[in-house]
Amino acid sequence: MRLQLTLFISGASPRSTRAVRRLRDLCDRNAPHGYDLEIIDIYQQPAKVASRGVLAVPTLFKEQPLPVRVLIGDFTDETRVLTTLGLSASKNC
Amino acid sequence: MVTSNDERGPAGRSGLELPKSPTGITGFDEISRGGLPTGRPTLVSGPPGSGKSLFALQFLVHGATCCAEPGVFLSFEGTRDKLASDVRGLGIDLDALEQDGALLVDAQSMARQAVDTGEFDLEALMVRMAFAVDKIGAKRVAIDSLESLFAAFSNPALVRSELLRLFSWLQDRGLTAVITGERTEDILIRHGLEEFLSDCVVLLDHRVVDEVATRRLRILKYRGSRHGRNEYPLLIGPAGLEVLPITSLGLYQQVSDDRLSTGITGLDEMLGGLGVYRGSSVLVSGTSGTGKTTIGASFASAAAQRGEKVLFFSFEESQSEILRNMASVNLDLAGWVERGLLHFHCERPTTLGLEDHLANIQRLVEQVAPTLVVIDPVSSLSRGTSRGDVSAMLTRQIYYLKSAGITAVMTSLTEGGNDLEHTELSISSLVDTWLLTITIQNSGERNRGLYVLKSRGMAHSNQIREFLLSSQGVSLVPVYMGPDGVLTGSARAAAEAAETGAGLGAEQESNQLAEAMELRRKAVQTRVASMWADFDAQEALTTRQLKASKKREEVLRAARLEQGRQRTVKPEDRP
Repeated sequence: MRLQLTLFISGASPRSTRAVRRLRDLCDRNAPHGYDLEIIDIYQQPAKVASRGVLAVPTLFKEQPLPVRVLIGDFTDETRVLTTLGLSASKNC
Repeated sequence: MVTSNDERGPAGRSGLELPKSPTGITGFDEISRGGLPTGRPTLVSGPPGSGKSLFALQFLVHGATCCAEPGVFLSFEGTRDKLASDVRGLGIDLDALEQDGALLVDAQSMARQAVDTGEFDLEALMVRMAFAVDKIGAKRVAIDSLESLFAAFSNPALVRSELLRLFSWLQDRGLTAVITGERTEDILIRHGLEEFLSDCVVLLDHRVVDEVATRRLRILKYRGSRHGRNEYPLLIGPAGLEVLPITSLGLYQQVSDDRLSTGITGLDEMLGGLGVYRGSSVLVSGTSGTGKTTIGASFASAAAQRGEKVLFFSFEESQSEILRNMASVNLDLAGWVERGLLHFHCERPTTLGLEDHLANIQRLVEQVAPTLVVIDPVSSLSRGTSRGDVSAMLTRQIYYLKSAGITAVMTSLTEGGNDLEHTELSISSLVDTWLLTITIQNSGERNRGLYVLKSRGMAHSNQIREFLLSSQGVSLVPVYMGPDGVLTGSARAAAEAAETGAGLGAEQESNQLAEAMELRRKAVQTRVASMWADFDAQEALTTRQLKASKKREEVLRAARLEQGRQRTVKPEDRP
């Protein structure tokens, strides 16, 4: 099943840029059915920040497949990210 | 309770007082002298269930509705809908306030199971706050609560530094903030937020004493302002939080010269013949079974008879019990209930906390608008609470009723063995008229007595009277004061009977004596008469005997002379 992801970042801060790059890289390598990533800048869409109860930046929601999982941080801990997203690390990495 | 050191802080320099934002929480604005410090954060801390979220929300709602200061409520606990339904019962309509743009609620429980994958900051918290504040032009904000924020992230140092950033932003924007938390020490010292949260700290407490929950509020510190520093009862009434600051009561009530009958003839007589003053407070105390409730009911009945409304609070008996029991002493209360003059409110003292009882009484008094309130008995309110609390509450109650010009009749049970002239609730000095009911035991009986221990502003009897409850009604009769002391009950009746008996006896006795003398006189007269008769008879006999003996002597002498003559004249004739 295709991954549906929502990522909250704060503008073009170094940490946010790094997070986006790492997440894309991770998913490109390990998501077998592909993925959709929606990136929300908290400064641009503050209403969405409130409605999802986001406090930390970056925050990633794995919307599909269910259940919804929440990850915070800049994805340094790759193993945790993969486990939480329900992916297994591909052998060629 | 009213102490001179209740206030602290810079004395009386009102010009230097901080600008303050009223909270609209009854009583709190009094003890904080106007509310929370404007443009600064206030920490409101207390255990779960102590009312801190409500404190925060009420502060915002008051600002939105009464001060034209829109507010933002940022909560990390529960959801907006749950919050809205929780406060609807308190008459707060969050939806309407939000539609008016007077309030913005940002309440989302956090995704607690967030997986930590690396570095992050809490920029979104700042963004949410700034977004909400700008959207409605907020002047007040509330953050509920710090603990949930610390609990959500594994790195407290990060949360701390982000909070400091948020607080300084709030201060820069001149926002008056209420921040809630659970453990004051932890927040101020362990999390190191003291520097930013030390302007004003309000402590709430929620404790259970003898199964009755009571809430308390105390202002721990208020930099640059005078404030009441005592612990005050806090309650959640029908209109939200209320603080009951006993010390903020003034002594300004109007007094009335109007006098009210007590409904008991003998008692009115004891109170200068006119009864008690309107708007005064009457305490009836005594051991159990001395007729306290009946006296209360008599007051009620008398007021209803005058066409006045009465509110009767009973903490021990139900309405039907009281109606039945009073009917047995010829007090027909049911009639007054039907005519809407007498209202009963019966509740077990333990069903509510003390403060809730007080709020309840005030609410009902406002609803019914009575001229007389009977509280029977106030002593049962002390169950589950400390005496100090009860006396504080009653003090407030008495002043509240007095200031409304309502006569209060309170009964109080004195436990057996205690000094009768002592109320356990130390309210005796507050009441105007104190009636003491006692039991008088003698000759195998227990009878009721009553006396007026004090009655301010009127001449009153110093007698102990016997208090009679019978199917004829309630009455007071003077006790019998005899050589043997005070007598009551059948002993009194017997003594009274004996006294009349004794009077009768004396009269009879003197009559009898007179008769006896008369008889004796007659007897003497008879005896004297008979003696004279004897004497006369004797005399007559003696006279006759004397006559007879004289005659015999003459005869004998004649005979002797003849004998002698015969011997001497014829001697030759002898043979």
